[in-house]
Amino acid sequence: MADPPLLEITDLTVVRDGHVAVERASITVARGSIHLVVGPNGAGKSSLVAAVLGEAAFSGTVRCHFRGSGRVGYVPQTFPVDPTLPLTVAELLALTRQRLPVCLGLTAKTRAAVAALLDRVGLAGIERRRLGALSGGELRRVLLADSMDPDPELLVLDEPASGLDEPSAQRLEALVRALRDERGATVLMVSHDASQVRRLADAVTWIDRTVRRAGTPAEVLGDGGALPFTGGRA
Amino acid sequence: MDRLYALLADLAARGVLPEPLRYPFVARGVLAVLLLAPLLGGLSHLVVARRLAFFSTALGQAALTGITLGLLAGEPIQAPYAGLFGFCLLAAIGVVYVKRRSRLPADTLIGVFTALALGLGICLLVAATKQFNIHQIEAVMFGSLLTVTDTDLLLLLAVALGVLAALARYYNALLLDSASPERARVAGVDGARVEYLFVVLLTLAIVVSLKIIGALLVEALVVVPAAAARNLARSTRGYLAWSVACALLAGLGGIWFSTRFRVPTGGAVVLGLALCFFATLALGRGRGSA
Repeated sequence: MADPPLLEITDLTVVRDGHVAVERASITVARGSIHLVVGPNGAGKSSLVAAVLGEAAFSGTVRCHFRGSGRVGYVPQTFPVDPTLPLTVAELLALTRQRLPVCLGLTAKTRAAVAALLDRVGLAGIERRRLGALSGGELRRVLLADSMDPDPELLVLDEPASGLDEPSAQRLEALVRALRDERGATVLMVSHDASQVRRLADAVTWIDRTVRRAGTPAEVLGDGGALPFTGGRA
Repeated sequence: MDRLYALLADLAARGVLPEPLRYPFVARGVLAVLLLAPLLGGLSHLVVARRLAFFSTALGQAALTGITLGLLAGEPIQAPYAGLFGFCLLAAIGVVYVKRRSRLPADTLIGVFTALALGLGICLLVAATKQFNIHQIEAVMFGSLLTVTDTDLLLLLAVALGVLAALARYYNALLLDSASPERARVAGVDGARVEYLFVVLLTLAIVVSLKIIGALLVEALVVVPAAAARNLARSTRGYLAWSVACALLAGLGGIWFSTRFRVPTGGAVVLGLALCFFATLALGRGRGSA
């Protein structure tokens, strides 16, 4: 029997604040693939992600066929940092990596793990910076570093490249590709950058409340440079 | 305990320790502060991070009602702990329960609960003061070293150890949930559990400190140390260290001030805290980290 897909979303409907954000959407994400979800603003992409993560109530089914750790990594679109907390980068990463209360300091083992993680995302040496003092791109990479260890079986990214300059975005894409190729992760990623979709995606689903089109980047986007819905809702 | 006080008195008489420690009630106050400062100062950075400053004020006021209820139920004025713990825990859990199910902002809900607790408290207080001396209740409201007993101290020690042990166990989950509830959920933290846990721990710590600092002023010790520490801290570790240091300094300074100038301990401690806050504000500005 064929290997089941890692993620099977069937007839998903999400109602948020009284309006239907996603309606009867079905998406299949193949194991070990980078699957991009595209669509105009307000198309329900973030609601879809929320349902997959179990953050939003939904009807329909979301089924994950995990074979390994079953760990889900998540990089949110926005990460509001509480300015009243002088939390450092190392302390944030340590919160889920040691039992010792972070306010009492980091263990040597955690320190080494955090340094290695930051090195992987090209941010070596920023351990002592406060989260509030990071740029948007740096913060996004810190969160990616956090979701990369332990190796996730499914990595969910909500517009991770928005607000990043081109080199930063490409660096992030290289990290995502490496996670798929070297660690066997399956990636579900929201994007609205056509060139990013072409560079990165194994499969694309275009949603605008419900699924409009699905397939390879060429099948979904056609040959034009821009996304088919650019210029407003389709 | 008596041996400890005798030892302290001996050391004070020989000039090793400050002179007021000759008196057991001052020694009790100092011991209380040495327990209270790490407890409340340590909690304060989480109180500020979780935006529970107003909630702590409300708890202090709920304490008035709790004490009155305890008195009416026949508890002694020196230790109306069943009424205090019972009512404050009920109010704290009630606020969180309603908050989690309501769309109203937290400060509005806390306002409703505070008004309710205070209204009830005032009605009951009038009924209770027919039987009790109002000055005794005043001591609970504003804090007094004179009324602190060894039992209070032992209870404070036990609660402090319990609360700090529970905090140590759940600290990282609590802080992650404070910084980003969404990220905490993805990491497998049960948001409701840590929220209830924290308000229960905070309530226990506040209630057990009431007799020393006073119901109306105890909230200062769970808010101001962190506010002062925030002016200087550049990491969570520094945040905790400065909070505890500030609470200790203001606590010990407050006791010295209140024995020297015969003012209520609670008030003196709060003045010390305010001094710490404005001093660190100026220092922080100077260091450019404010």
